[in-house]
Amino acid sequence: MFLMRASAFAIRLLIPLVLFGSVGVFPAWSEDAQDPDVSSAAILNDPAAPVAGNPSGDISIVTFFDYNCPFCKKAEPSLERVVKEDGHIRLVYKDWPILTKPSIYGAQLALAAKYQGKYDAVHAALMTIPGVKIPEDQMLAAARTSGADMDRLDADLKAHADEITVLLRRNLAQADSLGLQGTPAYLIGHFKVTQALTYEGFKRAVADARAQARR
Amino acid sequence: MRNARLRTIIGCLLALVGGAALHAQTPPPADQVFRLRVAPGAAGALVLNWTIAPGNYLYRDKIAVKDSGGSAIEVTTDGGEIKDDPSFGETEIYHKRAQAIVDAKLLPRDGDIFVTFQGCAEQGICYPPVKKAVDPRTMSVVGGSANGEFNSSSGEHPVQEVTPEDSFIPFGPPKNLAPEPTPLQGNIVAVLLAFTGFGLLLSFTPCVFPMIPILSGMLARSGDRLTARRGFVLSGIYVMAMAFAYALLGVVVAWSGQNLQAALQTPAVLVSMSAVFLALAVSMFGYYDLQIPQSWQTRLTGKASSRSGSLGGAAIMGFGSALVVGPCITPPLAAALVYVAQTGDVLRGASALFALGLGMGLPLLAFGTFGAGILPKSGPWLAHVKHLFGFVFVGLAIWMAARILPDRVIAILWVAMAGSVPAYLVALIVTKHGRRPSHAVTAATGALIALAVLIAGSFADSFRLPPGFEESSASGVVATVGPAGFKSVSTPQALDDAIARARQARRPVVLDFSAEWCIECRVMDRTVFSDPVVRERLRDFDLIRADATDYNGDSQSAMKRFGVVGPPTVIFLDADFGREAANTRIIGPVDPTAFLEHLDHLNHHPAG
Repeated sequence: MFLMRASAFAIRLLIPLVLFGSVGVFPAWSEDAQDPDVSSAAILNDPAAPVAGNPSGDISIVTFFDYNCPFCKKAEPSLERVVKEDGHIRLVYKDWPILTKPSIYGAQLALAAKYQGKYDAVHAALMTIPGVKIPEDQMLAAARTSGADMDRLDADLKAHADEITVLLRRNLAQADSLGLQGTPAYLIGHFKVTQALTYEGFKRAVADARAQARR
Repeated sequence: MRNARLRTIIGCLLALVGGAALHAQTPPPADQVFRLRVAPGAAGALVLNWTIAPGNYLYRDKIAVKDSGGSAIEVTTDGGEIKDDPSFGETEIYHKRAQAIVDAKLLPRDGDIFVTFQGCAEQGICYPPVKKAVDPRTMSVVGGSANGEFNSSSGEHPVQEVTPEDSFIPFGPPKNLAPEPTPLQGNIVAVLLAFTGFGLLLSFTPCVFPMIPILSGMLARSGDRLTARRGFVLSGIYVMAMAFAYALLGVVVAWSGQNLQAALQTPAVLVSMSAVFLALAVSMFGYYDLQIPQSWQTRLTGKASSRSGSLGGAAIMGFGSALVVGPCITPPLAAALVYVAQTGDVLRGASALFALGLGMGLPLLAFGTFGAGILPKSGPWLAHVKHLFGFVFVGLAIWMAARILPDRVIAILWVAMAGSVPAYLVALIVTKHGRRPSHAVTAATGALIALAVLIAGSFADSFRLPPGFEESSASGVVATVGPAGFKSVSTPQALDDAIARARQARRPVVLDFSAEWCIECRVMDRTVFSDPVVRERLRDFDLIRADATDYNGDSQSAMKRFGVVGPPTVIFLDADFGREAANTRIIGPVDPTAFLEHLDHLNHHPAG
């Protein structure tokens, strides 16, 4: 992909374009949202949605992704790196399986792992499988390598099936309410970014979001 | 203090821009990025054609067809480009266009087939699968579920228990199957408010001013009995009757349907609309006052007087005034009517137009209730406001004329207009101070004008005439703009003759359905048909242009015969039989690259 090959300088030139082209202001529309599930507060603070990074950070990144989305996978290391290096970013995961049927299975595996505190590990394992049509058995195999207790995961998957389904539906509704058309999509502060970003892109977007929040 | 207010205003403006960006930046739905059309193929096969928006691609292995029972139907696809990337794995993809063929033998005897497909945008976003129902007999494509895989209503994914072995999320009722609401189908309250606001704006055109003497004449006859309450009732009835007249117009238009759009785009209407705007502009600059003919006015006022301000009289006056004033506000009214016509919904159309009439009547209502004191005091500022409106009207006149006048003329008009506005503003400021302009002011004015002209010129440059275009016909107003080489025909007979001649010469034909009111066609003239490479490639073709500018029986029958819904449509007829090969036509605007690729495709599959 061209973004990968481009030099850092070119990327810096590109970013204003990118920001201009595919970044919007994510409105705080909790006032007029009829369904409390899709208000901005619910999107940012869904208690069921896994949170990583610094939970009390000054800025949130909400990522909407699919485990069979190549762009999500490509952007993932950059996103994790920016969150780690920055130290003050709260990262909210919205499993949004819309691309393939196995994507749903992957989301269920990851969300079931949350009950044993292993969401991050399973999520990372799934995101590092290269390819766009990973079948369910390959996803299961990746989850096994993540270090999660698979018996526990299986039990949680059964016990919490309804909760997970409800969360996935809620994510779908939230993505709908944001007008998202495909994966990945990121809410960075008050910006809505509807495409994959590079490391520099994430950094710049975070800086801009902080600057905007200060105003 | 003042700064704070300014900051608030700028903040609000920024918020507005932000809101606009929110809509502007959202990628188009998958449905629009990957457009599916279905055409008949050889031996009863079904050919699925996708047009893929630039910067997007479709996965070869995600193209699937199923029957209504859910069993897969085999499709034949050409090899795609190989995309090999660590994050993607090796995948086969299509850019620009894709094709899949379903053999006639495999088509179900009855019922629709369901086509799913999926792709991504290069900029870094992947779309959910799109699912379309196709009727193999009529070739019609319906449905637009972006989440087809999960939200389908066909019931092929029953609700199941979620288990790791057999996973499926019942994702709830289909949400995206309903077509996008058109503006009028949106919230009716919002529509009515919008139309009321639009009417209020219209009430500030000089067309509505003549209503004031009519109304005041009527009110004056009430004499001593005239209280604010009676004034309100009388003017209220007057306004209601006026709004009712517009509502009736809305009913008629909503019934008449969409042909109005074509009718209103014909050169005659465009020229007259443009002329009306020019007349309005001239009036705004104070060269004359636009009024209803004095005799009508007297008669109307007299009628009003004789009825001594009765309620019935007010109603008749209101209704009549709407009809009298109607022609004067034709252009904006026409815009509103076209908007209404697109829905064909009589009730909504009527209420929208009623709201428009109410909005127009609001200032009259205020006038009737509180007397003339409520209206803004006239003064020099009013003249300046009118002058600015004059510029706006000139702009509208140019905008309308742009569809029929030669591009070069329009470009010159825009540049002249862009230069005159700052000149006017500076002149205004200078004369106000009553001093002779200093050198600095003169220089600044010159710089401002030059800047405006440069900016306008750089925009106008994009409208430059491509080589080989005729500039204007003898009439000078309605130009026959067409790329050299296209023979323009407007009757079925002339079309037949032209095709027959091509057959005699054994030359293939490019038949372009075009119209002067069709903006996309003119864009294609500028980009595609003036492209030197395209022109070279088209040298072996007889180029025929079926002109649908006059949207009449002749052009309609030609379009009907070739099954053309509307321009721009380009049809290719072969040299041997003068027949159109299956799925070779281009519907809608394309860019030169897509057009050239289409020509390549045509050469490789001459028989479709």
